[in-house]
Amino acid sequence: MFWVSLFTMGRATNSSSSSIDSSSHPTVSSASSFPRLKRDLSTDLSLGLSISTSDHHYCPSTPREQQSDWPPIKTLLRKALAGEGNKCNDATFFVKVYMEGIPIGRKLDLFAHDGYHALIRTLDDMFSTTILWAEVDGVLHSEKCHVLTYEDKEGDWMMVGDVPWELFLTTVKRLKITRVDKY
Amino acid sequence: MGYSFPEEVLEHVLSFIDSDSDRNSVSLVCKSWHDIERWCRRRLFVGNCYAVSPAIAIRRFPELRSVSLKGKPHFADFNLVPHEWGGYAYPWIAAFAKAYPWLEELRLKRMVVSDEALELIAKKFKNFRVLVMYSCEGFSTDGLATIAANCRNLKELDLSESEVDDVSGNWLSQFPDSYTSLESLNITSLSSEIRFSALERLVGRCPNLKTLKLSHSVPLDLLPNLLQKAPQLVELGSGLHTKEVHPDLYSKLAGAFSGCKGLKRLCGLQDVVPSYLPTLYPICVGLTSLNLSDAPIQCPELIKLVSQCQNLQRLWVLDYIEDTGLNALAESCKDLRELRVFPSDPFGQEPNVSLTEQGLVSVSAGCPKLHSVLYFCRRMSNVALSTIARNRPNLTHFRLCIIERFRPDYITLEPLDVGFGAIVEHCKDLKRLSLSGLLTDRVFEYIGSHGKKLEMLSLAFAGDSDLGLHHVLSGCKSLRKLEIRDCPFGDKALLANAAKLETMRSLWMSACQVSYRACKLLGQKMPRLNVEVIAEQGHPDSSPDEYPVEKLYIYRTVSGPRSDMPSFVWTMDKNSALSSS
Repeated sequence: MFWVSLFTMGRATNSSSSSIDSSSHPTVSSASSFPRLKRDLSTDLSLGLSISTSDHHYCPSTPREQQSDWPPIKTLLRKALAGEGNKCNDATFFVKVYMEGIPIGRKLDLFAHDGYHALIRTLDDMFSTTILWAEVDGVLHSEKCHVLTYEDKEGDWMMVGDVPWELFLTTVKRLKITRVDKY
Repeated sequence: MGYSFPEEVLEHVLSFIDSDSDRNSVSLVCKSWHDIERWCRRRLFVGNCYAVSPAIAIRRFPELRSVSLKGKPHFADFNLVPHEWGGYAYPWIAAFAKAYPWLEELRLKRMVVSDEALELIAKKFKNFRVLVMYSCEGFSTDGLATIAANCRNLKELDLSESEVDDVSGNWLSQFPDSYTSLESLNITSLSSEIRFSALERLVGRCPNLKTLKLSHSVPLDLLPNLLQKAPQLVELGSGLHTKEVHPDLYSKLAGAFSGCKGLKRLCGLQDVVPSYLPTLYPICVGLTSLNLSDAPIQCPELIKLVSQCQNLQRLWVLDYIEDTGLNALAESCKDLRELRVFPSDPFGQEPNVSLTEQGLVSVSAGCPKLHSVLYFCRRMSNVALSTIARNRPNLTHFRLCIIERFRPDYITLEPLDVGFGAIVEHCKDLKRLSLSGLLTDRVFEYIGSHGKKLEMLSLAFAGDSDLGLHHVLSGCKSLRKLEIRDCPFGDKALLANAAKLETMRSLWMSACQVSYRACKLLGQKMPRLNVEVIAEQGHPDSSPDEYPVEKLYIYRTVSGPRSDMPSFVWTMDKNSALSSS
């Protein structure tokens, strides 16, 4: 029936109306032979150039279209990525810090620190002292030094540093720096 | 012959048969079975809303309770289908309103749904229970308000990825106080501020609420209250963003998450503060699905999170996970079945993260149940693809997107034909495949000879000649959907395989080399196909016949040409004159 195959692929005799691809191979079913590549890739590839669209013999989308439809990601994801700034890094977590003997406390942003070491460094600077915490083996110096403690969500006062940093962040309510001799 | 088996018995037997293909087989046995089956069919799936008309569907199946409809072609997701192309739900809903007063479920995908359509649903179906509008558009929160006010038995309202005209957040308050049947709510695509108190009350009075997916505008400090009212949640979607943190908030949130002991699926986490991620740790072991594709979490925190999800079956994530994160995933998540990795910087020229083909190779080696992959990356090699194919012959869905077009194998600089060839050769049950990178006609030869179970194929910037398309159309016996953009395929393969097109749901070709002449010829000779040309430049007759069409959408149909086409879509049929060229 005529309509089944309106143009039979590759019956060798008559390909006069085919002007689209002059390199099409006469036999279709043979697995081993297929058209040589129309473009000669070797020069481009050896120069390490990526293939540009002008090398192709068809009409690709216009550059303007390419911007909004390639790579194929959905509109919502596209918008989300466009809107994403560093919003997630703006959050703060301020807790009060008291040094024993000093009535006026300070405030410190725990989110601005990535762990205990950074926290201790900041407190050392803030209060001009050496602060002991769980990781420092109890080598007690004769000069003044302090121990860092925190109030947890159950109201108990604990030494800082025993639990992982992330867990600490979930339970800490405020900090207190106590003198060693009282401790 | 017909009386030996009482109808009631057959009906009862059929009530156990759910799958559409099985029911279709039943209806082909004999006339009486066809008749009995059509009277007791309750669910209908229409993969292309233009393949059949509402009248035909209603005539055949008089007692439906649940209908699924799909409208626009898949490439509409990537802005390739012009606005106002079609896919209108109203005619269907209006017809159903008359024919199926007891309709309970409507699932619509990529359709245009107006507020008038929503009002019909709200007022005409007394026992309406499920409304899913996936990637739809055309309605506003006013339409949602009508649904909320009228659908007393609504169980599920799902607006995933739909574009909603967000007039106000007050629609949620339209659910009456007596309404308690909500089981699933997905309003992630809404951006306006919803009345949080209304949401809280709604959640509090619906004891069967299992799925709650909220827009990112829900502030973090209100989430613990919500979770405490719904500890039975199985699926949660929420942003976790906040500016100011109180010491209490952290522990409140941690406590609330721990209370949701049945939570299995989690998504959202837009703008999450990394320090808040540990509040999720207690529930990680129970998670089977984690969608972090909206969450800008970096590699170290991702690794910590994912390593605790030993029962994870599905992970959607941004490429911040990097190869190291994927290695960790391969170690920890042995039950993983589906992985999708999306690009965080798709338009950047240089890679912004260290995610390469190695990550995918690791996961393919470490996760024996992995069968579905969607992977965006910037480089690939034939040897990596072959390794993946040998590691995972159980792959059924493989979609690879190499971000820069025409990228060859980065090691050998060859085309990626052999690599994808290995995929189709080893993965004998492969149903869905998307290709990218530098590809010649050879890859299509492989696909045609091995892809016998392939149902959906997506091509872009691939191939050399019509032979490529011919291999696919003549070789892929199970092909249902073929979508092609920017490939050098012209008339020959299409016309030589015209009959094949009637065995498929649809074919999309854009920026290829199919001429107007071929389209007109196809349209004239194949009355059971709609050959639609999308031409924003002007009427087809104003272009020479040899000129290539911009976009072509061909689909089989039993209801003839569309009657709702916009001005830029033409059906090529027996009335299309071939101009003398």
